[in-house]
Amino acid sequence: MSDEQTVAVEVVGIEQVTPLIKHFKLAPVGGGTLPVFSGGSHIIVVMRGADRVHKNPYSLLGSPSELDTYEIGVRRMEESRGGSHFMHDQVVVGSRLEIAHPINLFGLDKIARKHVLIAGGIGITPFLAQLEDLHGGGVPYELHYSVRSHEHAAFLTRLHRREGERLHMYYDSEGQMIPFETLLANQPLGTHVYVCGPAGMIKHVIATAQSCGWPDSHIHWEQFSAPPVGDAFEVFLARSQLSVHVPPDQSLLESIEAAGVEVPYLCRGGVCGFCHTRVLELDGTLVHNDHFLSDADKAKGKSIMPCVSRAQCKRLVLDL
Amino acid sequence: MLVTGIKSKPVYAPLQADTRGRYHLMVGMGVGAAPLLRVIAEMRSAAAHSLKHTRVLYVPDSGGSEGGGTGGGAGIDEFRSAAVGEVRVFEGTPALLEKFRATLSESSMGTRLYVAGPESFIGLVMKIALEFNLNKDEIRAEECGTLARRIYCIHCRATTEQVRTNIVRCVGCARWLLVRDHYSRRLAAYMGVMVDAEAPGELPPVKEVFL
Repeated sequence: MSDEQTVAVEVVGIEQVTPLIKHFKLAPVGGGTLPVFSGGSHIIVVMRGADRVHKNPYSLLGSPSELDTYEIGVRRMEESRGGSHFMHDQVVVGSRLEIAHPINLFGLDKIARKHVLIAGGIGITPFLAQLEDLHGGGVPYELHYSVRSHEHAAFLTRLHRREGERLHMYYDSEGQMIPFETLLANQPLGTHVYVCGPAGMIKHVIATAQSCGWPDSHIHWEQFSAPPVGDAFEVFLARSQLSVHVPPDQSLLESIEAAGVEVPYLCRGGVCGFCHTRVLELDGTLVHNDHFLSDADKAKGKSIMPCVSRAQCKRLVLDL
Repeated sequence: MLVTGIKSKPVYAPLQADTRGRYHLMVGMGVGAAPLLRVIAEMRSAAAHSLKHTRVLYVPDSGGSEGGGTGGGAGIDEFRSAAVGEVRVFEGTPALLEKFRATLSESSMGTRLYVAGPESFIGLVMKIALEFNLNKDEIRAEECGTLARRIYCIHCRATTEQVRTNIVRCVGCARWLLVRDHYSRRLAAYMGVMVDAEAPGELPPVKEVFL
């Protein structure tokens, strides 16, 4: 994505839906409609802060058939690098932001015979749009939604009204757990499972499905990692002949962009693989934080996903 | 004249037990018994607990030639003594397919499908598996027995069974059809196209090629 491909939007509505989650409505500046998307898509929101530009992925949670506005849900992260705090503290109705066109890395399987959706916390957001695609489709589905407590159950009124008995709620505060094993051991052939939520939950769902004999082609998940903080390091961009300093709280990708070098990306969360970059030289170790490279590729140390991964080294040379 | 290198032509591979599956459904015809018994033996040594979750649906050779040889009778006895969960033997393919469909409709995720037999039989089984959204990583198929094809006439939409020749007369419209390698998983058939449309009556030599 380059800046020319962004769409200028204005914040037209903000609602605090839980103590940690704000719901934003974005409309195109100057009117008109926004690009078409399918359930499960995300956008990158570009936030121009005082000292830094943040670009974070957020799932679109509104109906794909309503393109006057986009809706996103932003959870305030405790260890925010600034993006979620910016959205929560700086953005008000009337604020202007830039967004990238929607990308779907978490689409529904079009010929599934049944869908089982599993959400944890803010992980509910991609499902809200997918549910709009499922309504009236004739394919059975069920949603299992786990939250900390009643006050943290975002978008519950909307879900209750539209999903009825297909919604299954689980509250940590009441000791309720999604019965993953029972749920996944008894699904008809042709069922697909989708999970979005905390890393531990996603891992557990994948492992449980596999132990129940599910093949990988029926298991879908999405988790955008925020770029973790780490030690500062230096990187040399071989093709651009540029040295770039990566501070502890800025990602490799952000640092490279700040130096004026463009790297293609789609998700900025370690999922899509678009920012895959070749490592030419390294005198230390790579800290891989992505979900894209295989363990074998990570061990080889020949490539890196600069959106979320870092290095502990004296010298890193990239093919950029 | 037979066009080769067509991507839709199915590719098969020797069957192997996939012990990541929780349930195993085996469907075979004629000499297809041998690969299925091989998988059962593999399971017995690698994951014996899988055997009780294994079901076999089998049709011996019907009328001698369709299954492409002998082996049917011996197969039944071997299946019966293999101590798998269930063995069902059918008189003909339609009865087997009917039971197969009913079995899939009550099967759970975690099932692996193993198919062995002549290609036309595999195609009919796959067609039903597709309706249940079984993906490539849930199905294994090994071709054995005759290569005779089901041919779908693109002109009248009739399907001619047991085609062994490169050119065949359509059972529906009596056109002479060139048998192609284009395969439809949905129809479980290869495509047949009128061969003498340009010059009626002028046929290339008819040869037995799918034996």
